[in-house]
Amino acid sequence: MDLFFHRKLRVEDFEAAAMPHFPDLYRTARLLAQGSTEAEDLVQDVYLEAWKSFHRFQTGTNCRAWLFKILFHRLHHFRRRWAKAAKVEAFEGPEDQDSLIAEIPVPQEIRDEDVLQALGKVPIEYRKVVLLADVQEFSYKEIAETMKLPLGTVMSRLSRGRKLLRQELAGIARAFGIRPASDPPRPGESA
Amino acid sequence: MNVLNFNSEQCGRIRRHLDAYLSDELLVETTSEVLRHLESCEACTRELEARTRVRDALRKAAVSQVPPEGLRQSIDRRLREMQPGFIGGSPRLAWAVALVIVIILGSIATEQWLRVQRGKRIVASILAIGVSDHVQCALKGHNYPDVANPPEQLRRKLGPQYAGLLEVVEQNLPGFEVLEAHICSVPGSTRKYVHFITRGRGTILSVILTRSEGAQFPNGKAFRSGASGSVNFYEAHLEGMNAAGFESKEYWGFVVSDLSRDTTMQIADELAPPLKVALDAGRGSEAFVIEPQRGALIQPGPSAPKL
Repeated sequence: MDLFFHRKLRVEDFEAAAMPHFPDLYRTARLLAQGSTEAEDLVQDVYLEAWKSFHRFQTGTNCRAWLFKILFHRLHHFRRRWAKAAKVEAFEGPEDQDSLIAEIPVPQEIRDEDVLQALGKVPIEYRKVVLLADVQEFSYKEIAETMKLPLGTVMSRLSRGRKLLRQELAGIARAFGIRPASDPPRPGESA
Repeated sequence: MNVLNFNSEQCGRIRRHLDAYLSDELLVETTSEVLRHLESCEACTRELEARTRVRDALRKAAVSQVPPEGLRQSIDRRLREMQPGFIGGSPRLAWAVALVIVIILGSIATEQWLRVQRGKRIVASILAIGVSDHVQCALKGHNYPDVANPPEQLRRKLGPQYAGLLEVVEQNLPGFEVLEAHICSVPGSTRKYVHFITRGRGTILSVILTRSEGAQFPNGKAFRSGASGSVNFYEAHLEGMNAAGFESKEYWGFVVSDLSRDTTMQIADELAPPLKVALDAGRGSEAFVIEPQRGALIQPGPSAPKL
């Protein structure tokens, strides 16, 4: 009976495989959740869920990708408790030539808090892809598998997400009087 | 300030590749094309630099998000409190499998219980055949004399086929006297009985034989093995009587009395093995070819019934 139901899995083995990714998971959760408490709940939930299904994890495969897959799966449930995010559909669609060519000014000084504030304004479905690609350095294929999205959707969301982040960043910079990098230096300033 | 040489069509094409270039997802050929363009296009170079700067700023800002103190320890503690993973599915699946097993085992147990109950009902219905003859013929009909009929008379009543059984009964019923032996039936049934009415231990005890006609006591746990181990007994308490039944190849045998269950069984246990041997040896093989008057008890008579 025991043999059928219950295989002793060592929590130490699980921790050795999964805990090195704890900071990355927390960072991603923190940038997707509304607050630190929600992020902590989410990460804790991810680890408990991963431990419960650790028997399905194949040793030697990509534990990090597996954990992120669980993270996004659990995030879907957690978001029901959180405020509704902006609808993705409203932003999706083919890019027009003008928006591709048009340059969005980027502030000369980019402070961490500005980036985080701007990122918080990017709709969450774009934010997820941007975080996986630009922070966690997942490949397009890994993102597609983790988020269960077609490759084309990953590419379009990444492109649009980066642009939205940049727009938000430019808006914050303007609000604080920070000069875009593309502006010519004023007399007396060094370039 | 540099003068930008902006080629709308070519730049548009390159900028569509810039995100993939930034993520290092372009094919080698396309990467070469982008690089060649960037060498000669300051506008696209500035655009790439802007995108790279935003990405680097995002990475730096993200790294600043440090897990709070105690979260790691909290997770460690919760992990150790939890049951580990299960083979073959989640704990929920394991519970479902366990539930199915319980249901299956429960069904088997219920099936066996029903089989035993069914067996007991069959045993009771067979033993009721013997009890009814004892009650109807011996007790209510009082078809026996106060003083035992002579053995020769009893042997005549039994006929040549069963006369030999009288000696078996007499020898294996210590403390009992055979008052009467005959072939009879009970009202409402065509079944015939070889009936020995005996007296002993302050009561009347019947030894009854009847053809099983292919029917059998049920297999299973309804029987109780005798001391010799050669005969299985079936018991029931019916109409205030204790009955012990056994079977030979072609007959059912019953010992019926109002003695206790254990006493009745003890008496049957002594009598049944030799009686079974005698029946199987053929001393009862031609029995019950007579057709007594339907519905009437056969009265003990001076001569054996016509076979």
